[in-house]
Amino acid sequence: MNPQDIKTTVKTFILNEYLPGEDPAALTDTTPLMTTGILNSIAVLKVVTLLENQFGITIKPHEAVVENLNTLSDIARLVMSKKA
Amino acid sequence: MLIKTLTSQPVGETKARGVEASVARRALRQRFGALAPFFAIVVQFGLILAIVDYWQLESQLLSRLMWLAFVGFVIHHLLPQRFRLPFFAILSLLAVITSVGHLGPNVLRAWLTGKMTTNGFLYHLFPGLTLIGIGLGLIGICHLPIRFGARIAAVAVAGAGLTVLRANSRWFPDVTEMWVFLGSMFMFRLMVYLYDLKHRTAPFSPARAISYFFLLPNVCFPVFPVVDYKTFCSTYYNEDWVPIYQNGLRWMFRGVVQLLLYRIVYQFAPLDVYKLSSALDVAGCMLGMYLLYLRISGTFHLIVGLLHMFGFNLPETHHLYLLASSFTDFWRRINIYWKDFVMKLFFYPTHFALRRIGPLRAMSVATLATFFATWLLHSWQWFWIRGTPLFNWKDFSFWAILAVLVLVTAIYETTRGQKRTLSPSRVTLRQRFILGLEAGAVFCLMCILWSYWTCQSWAEFRTLMDAASKPTLRDIAIVLVVFAIVCVCGMLWGRSSRETSEGRSTTATRGPFQFWPSAVAVTAGSICLLAGPSVVTWTIPTTKGLIARLHGDVLNARDMDQQRRGYYEELDVGGMGNWRGQAVEEPEGWSKGKKAFFRDRSDFLLRDMVPSMSTVLGGTSCTSNSLGMRDREYDKLKPASTYRIVLLGASNDMGTGVKDDQTYENLVEDNLNSRVPDARYSRYEILNLSIAADSILQRVLRLELEGFEFQPDAAILSLSAVDEQFIASHLRKALIQGIEPSPGYREVVESVVRRAHVNGKMPAVMIERRLQPYDRELSEWSFRRFAEQCAQRGVRPLVIYRPAPADFSGLKGARSETLARSEMLGLARTAGLEVIDLSPAFDSVADRSSLFLAKWDDHTTALGHRLLADKLYEDLVPLLFGSPSKQQTSRLQKP
Repeated sequence: MNPQDIKTTVKTFILNEYLPGEDPAALTDTTPLMTTGILNSIAVLKVVTLLENQFGITIKPHEAVVENLNTLSDIARLVMSKKA
Repeated sequence: MLIKTLTSQPVGETKARGVEASVARRALRQRFGALAPFFAIVVQFGLILAIVDYWQLESQLLSRLMWLAFVGFVIHHLLPQRFRLPFFAILSLLAVITSVGHLGPNVLRAWLTGKMTTNGFLYHLFPGLTLIGIGLGLIGICHLPIRFGARIAAVAVAGAGLTVLRANSRWFPDVTEMWVFLGSMFMFRLMVYLYDLKHRTAPFSPARAISYFFLLPNVCFPVFPVVDYKTFCSTYYNEDWVPIYQNGLRWMFRGVVQLLLYRIVYQFAPLDVYKLSSALDVAGCMLGMYLLYLRISGTFHLIVGLLHMFGFNLPETHHLYLLASSFTDFWRRINIYWKDFVMKLFFYPTHFALRRIGPLRAMSVATLATFFATWLLHSWQWFWIRGTPLFNWKDFSFWAILAVLVLVTAIYETTRGQKRTLSPSRVTLRQRFILGLEAGAVFCLMCILWSYWTCQSWAEFRTLMDAASKPTLRDIAIVLVVFAIVCVCGMLWGRSSRETSEGRSTTATRGPFQFWPSAVAVTAGSICLLAGPSVVTWTIPTTKGLIARLHGDVLNARDMDQQRRGYYEELDVGGMGNWRGQAVEEPEGWSKGKKAFFRDRSDFLLRDMVPSMSTVLGGTSCTSNSLGMRDREYDKLKPASTYRIVLLGASNDMGTGVKDDQTYENLVEDNLNSRVPDARYSRYEILNLSIAADSILQRVLRLELEGFEFQPDAAILSLSAVDEQFIASHLRKALIQGIEPSPGYREVVESVVRRAHVNGKMPAVMIERRLQPYDRELSEWSFRRFAEQCAQRGVRPLVIYRPAPADFSGLKGARSETLARSEMLGLARTAGLEVIDLSPAFDSVADRSSLFLAKWDDHTTALGHRLLADKLYEDLVPLLFGSPSKQQTSRLQKP
């Protein structure tokens, strides 16, 4: 598994769940998710559940923060660091 | 050649000079380019400081702190980067020492000039140093080289010890005020600090810790935003200083505007449930109660803006919460720091721990646990600021209702999904329309819920609803217009939450920064706030009273009457008062004589004064004579050659809070006896029959039952704009106690009671509210009765209008002054009564607070009584004894 796979999985999930009908190209690796309200606190929990189920990792409460989940790149970095 | 040389040399020199000039110009431009924004920032900061000073926002200490921050800001900015944080930490400690110990310039001057001993000076340092000592001790415990669990246990033990000391703050009377700020600085921030320390999510150092806990503005605001330690550290100069400072100034300006709006709402909204007379009043009351929160959002903006001036690029604390489109949205926008705090410490840990029971269930339990923690922590906050915990059903039910509303919305959002867009321009008009309607609906529901929280009891809230039971078409139309305005605002700005919904703003999510437009806007707005009042009062002189009322931190009529407010209001009353050393709550023993000084009666007078009693009222000794009056001794039979007047009034006429010989009635009597305005009389007596809280009905009845026995020549009925409130409370007490009205009064009282649909079994607040519309009718009847009774006995009836210190010339701005001066005096004149208007008595007093006994007691001071006496004497003598020339003749004729 590489960062791109992670980004693709999460991007698909976000587009389906929260951004139906949006142009997939508009959601880039650096689009802010939490600070723009695309992911609110409840949505963050869903993304965390997805990451844990899909990639077999465990995320702790203090890790569910903007630094780790604000962009697709941040998310990929978090998952990769957990997998390492 | 010569010519060539002569011509070429100057060209070369000119060229060189031109290059030099160009370089110099560029250097100047660069220097100016760096200096200009800084000067513009200094000017804006100075203007905001002037606004705080001019409008006396919050307290005098805030003004002093702003000066300290202003000077500190300039030094801080000029320091090299590595010295800035330690400097801020030292400045914050300095603010703690000077503010908590009331160590102002006067104290320093007194010590330096030898007017104060060194021991006295050190005494002022003691509370601040104690606070710092305890604080450093707590921070030290967090960093003990022991296991983290043991450190938490040690902090808990220390916290428990401090809690006991706070609950018994009287054990250390020299540092009483310190506890409020110790609590404010550590009660929540210590939890955040320990959390971040455990997870090592931010750097730690002594300067950071001191700066974080002793945050500079904290000494002015016991109710302080829960700043997140990690955010505090990560945002420190995380971008160029120009946008950080300018954003801070913008927020400070927004803060002062909100504080001024709060003042307008606080002074002029119909907040007194007892006085509501229509459905529109109820809507205004609910809206007003909700908007009182502007004080918190205003102070939070001011606080965070001030922190920006020292490089802390913290996120917004509130974001258009009045336009929230759902309850979860409301929760995310109002007090964002609190939401982040409880999410971090309660919601996420609970949810993550319960994930195995399913995401929806885990979220439900975590949400309820978060709100339970919020309720508990609000009580904890109350304890540290007020000294006693807040555990009541109203508070609990408010948080429970809000928890359910947020949970239901959260479940709906989770199961149905909430559609977002990547670009705001994609939002259709239909979506905007729905958003507007949602914003309007949430706004209305929050108004109702907030007023439930603010009302003192369930009965009061029921009364509020009762008052709204018969809306007129006009009421409905006005409410709908307001609703439509909120909807339109929601349509226009409701979506902007996208920028800050998680309480963090980044450069990526903000629009491009433009310094000069922002600086010009803040400067222009500040100048308007400074010059506006003068311009308005110059163009419309009648607004003078209105503007005066907005100046300074004066309690509104309701709070003066009842000494109560909503959660944040009451929290502030205690906290700010304690801190300022002028506790807003009545000190113990202030009115200890109330019970001893008055006794119940079984007739419609309800109360009278105990004869020959000496006690304390309004913090001052108070004596009654053998006839049961707050007055000197008099013979019951009028002596020969004596002009006798009886005075009928309430507590201010009785002289609550001033010494026996300082009441205006005694001062006028002394004046009459020393000047002898009429030769026919060698002695003048004013018998004071005033009883605290007597309604106009009681005053007239007291004249009939007691006053006429003293054979008065004249009877003075004293009135003020706020006295009309006593009518409803008088009838309410009579109804609840089952006391029949006196003969002669029965018909009018029973008629009013019947029409108002009240009986003695109803809640007191509801009885008073329903009787409120009949105040005017009963006042009118009382004036007629007063005139008739005096005419029958040959007594000269007079009415005096006595201004209250907070009355501002009978300004009819608030509903508490329904029958304001002009209306009341109009009624008296219609009844054929002679009127003396004492309103101008206080005109010369610019600082109205010098006329209040204390912040918690609006009775008139000795100065006020003297001014009233001067004015009354000036108007009374010509009325009773003729023109001044006649008086002069009389005096000359005196043997």
